[in-house]
Amino acid sequence: MLGFIIQRVLQAFVVMLVISALVFTGVYAVGNPIDVLISPDATQLIREQTIRAYGLDQPLWKQYLDFLGRLVRGDFGRSFVYNMPVLDLIFSRLPATLELTLAAVIGATALGVPLGMYAGYRPDSAASKAIMAISILGFSVPTFWIGLVLIFTFAVSLGWLPAGNRGDTASLFGIQWSFLTWNGLTHLFLPALNLSLFKFALMVRLARAGTREVMLTDTVKFARAAGLSEGTILLRHVLRLIAIPIVTVFGLEFGSTLAFAVVTETIFSWPGVGKLIIDSISTLDRPVMVAYLMLVAFFFIMINLSVDVAYAALDPRLRTRRAA
Amino acid sequence: MSPVLLDVSGLTTRFATRAGSLNAVEDVSFTVAEGEIVGLVGESGSGKSVTGFSILGLIDPPGRIVSGSVKLNGRELVGLSHAELRSMRGREIAMVFQDPSATLNPVLTIETQMRLAIAAHENLGDAAARARCIEVLGAVGIPDAARRIEAYPHQFSGGMRQRVAIAIALLNRPKLIICDEPTTALDVSIQAQILTEMKSLAARLGTAMIWISHDLATVSSVASRILVMYAGRLIEAGPMAQVLRQPHHPYTRGLLGSLPGMAPPGEDLVQIPGTMPSLIDLPKGCAFQPRCGFADAQCATMPALSAGAGRRVRCHHPLAAETVP
Repeated sequence: MLGFIIQRVLQAFVVMLVISALVFTGVYAVGNPIDVLISPDATQLIREQTIRAYGLDQPLWKQYLDFLGRLVRGDFGRSFVYNMPVLDLIFSRLPATLELTLAAVIGATALGVPLGMYAGYRPDSAASKAIMAISILGFSVPTFWIGLVLIFTFAVSLGWLPAGNRGDTASLFGIQWSFLTWNGLTHLFLPALNLSLFKFALMVRLARAGTREVMLTDTVKFARAAGLSEGTILLRHVLRLIAIPIVTVFGLEFGSTLAFAVVTETIFSWPGVGKLIIDSISTLDRPVMVAYLMLVAFFFIMINLSVDVAYAALDPRLRTRRAA
Repeated sequence: MSPVLLDVSGLTTRFATRAGSLNAVEDVSFTVAEGEIVGLVGESGSGKSVTGFSILGLIDPPGRIVSGSVKLNGRELVGLSHAELRSMRGREIAMVFQDPSATLNPVLTIETQMRLAIAAHENLGDAAARARCIEVLGAVGIPDAARRIEAYPHQFSGGMRQRVAIAIALLNRPKLIICDEPTTALDVSIQAQILTEMKSLAARLGTAMIWISHDLATVSSVASRILVMYAGRLIEAGPMAQVLRQPHHPYTRGLLGSLPGMAPPGEDLVQIPGTMPSLIDLPKGCAFQPRCGFADAQCATMPALSAGAGRRVRCHHPLAAETVP
């Protein structure tokens, strides 16, 4: 197991290096940030000074090597716009996105898997058909539209929940979190619900398909013949047997939502990284873009690694194959 | 003769399919005495497995038991509630299936699966439950059971896996075990081993067995009495040795004739011509009539199963001693 993790971490280094080159070249190939950074009527002298100050007069390979050199020391550069270290900037926004994403993904899984299992266990019941109808809605209705409907219904018409922002936060591990205060929770609820609908639909489908399949196997028949109750069979046998695809999708959804919760964050004015990256693209804030995309790649690598470790925990057959 | 443990009478299990409803099991009656091993033989689709599942009350929709009774120690099982059936399963009647790599859960340890089976019926403490598991694993011939109990199914060989499945069936000391082709998926050498061990295990524990198989040779080596099914009906029943020596039903004789060990040396094996008819579209009268060399006009009516506790046959023209070659 340890050898496997070390091997994957080494792989991750190579992947990160390749990604840094791709991202750096890609981002530096488009636009000229100088046009955005200084006023058009600045003198030629000021213009050239600024270009030199940001190192933009260097050839691309030189800029990249400088970037790598700083990276080794843990320095992602400074934001052109905010004039502060990029990492500080991103990490000041990340907790907001992290808690929003976790709330959405965990909520969707905690609700979607049991309902999906029920729908797979009793496929012909009226409740199962209702669950499947909701999941079709979750798949097919666009997220931004649901977000607007949610705001209109719960914030504007009913006035039950706030329409945007994080609300009050409290500190845990030196980071500000919304979910620790009641006011913050009310702010978190709608955007998390908005983000979770699609994931909920996905989890329902996965759990239902898996359960339907497993219920027909001899494992379930044998467990029934031994006198196990249906509840025990679903909880102890079926849930374990359908866990692997669910964990996979959980990881993928977690990563992609963390990186690209942009739409929901914009609609609910949620001050997360999604809004930051959109802003940095429109202002051509290259260091923020590069650092953010590399961070996203890093998250995906870490999430995939955790998912693989979870596989081994869930299925003993994968453990021995790896040990061999 | 030991007292009757299981009394099945007039059992009919019907499946409603899109093509129409069919009786997978029709009017099946037999008894199993305490500690007795009864063989239930037939080809696939003959209704032998459905008979086993019907006894356990494990028929899933669209199937259901439409008539008949299953009595265990005089207690009627047909019509019991789900909860009553559940508490009966495993504790009074257990079942072992054909393929142990499909029946055991690959992602749970043997111990977890065994403990779940115990916990379904009684609340033993951790240590006592574990001790029971190890004891039963030892009894079915798993060496080093105390250590192996923590292993997963894929870490066992096929034969060992089936022993584990048998151990799970034995855990709650049922009075009857329904064995649905438990050796079919195993190597021939392992088959023989498991057959012998199960036979002696049953004798030692006084457990009765219904041994379901398509393989007459296997059944003949474990069971003392045989039931032959064809197209959902019981067509012949009797003590194993008598039926083997002198089958009354032409189908049974056909089965015997197709066995390598039973045909006279030097002669070709005899095949039964044709295949078993679809249950949706049964011929009029005796279901075996289209394949039977003795069929005549009388066979267009369904023959009754001859009465009697000893030998029974469902045929208008039961084979007498002299017609047997």
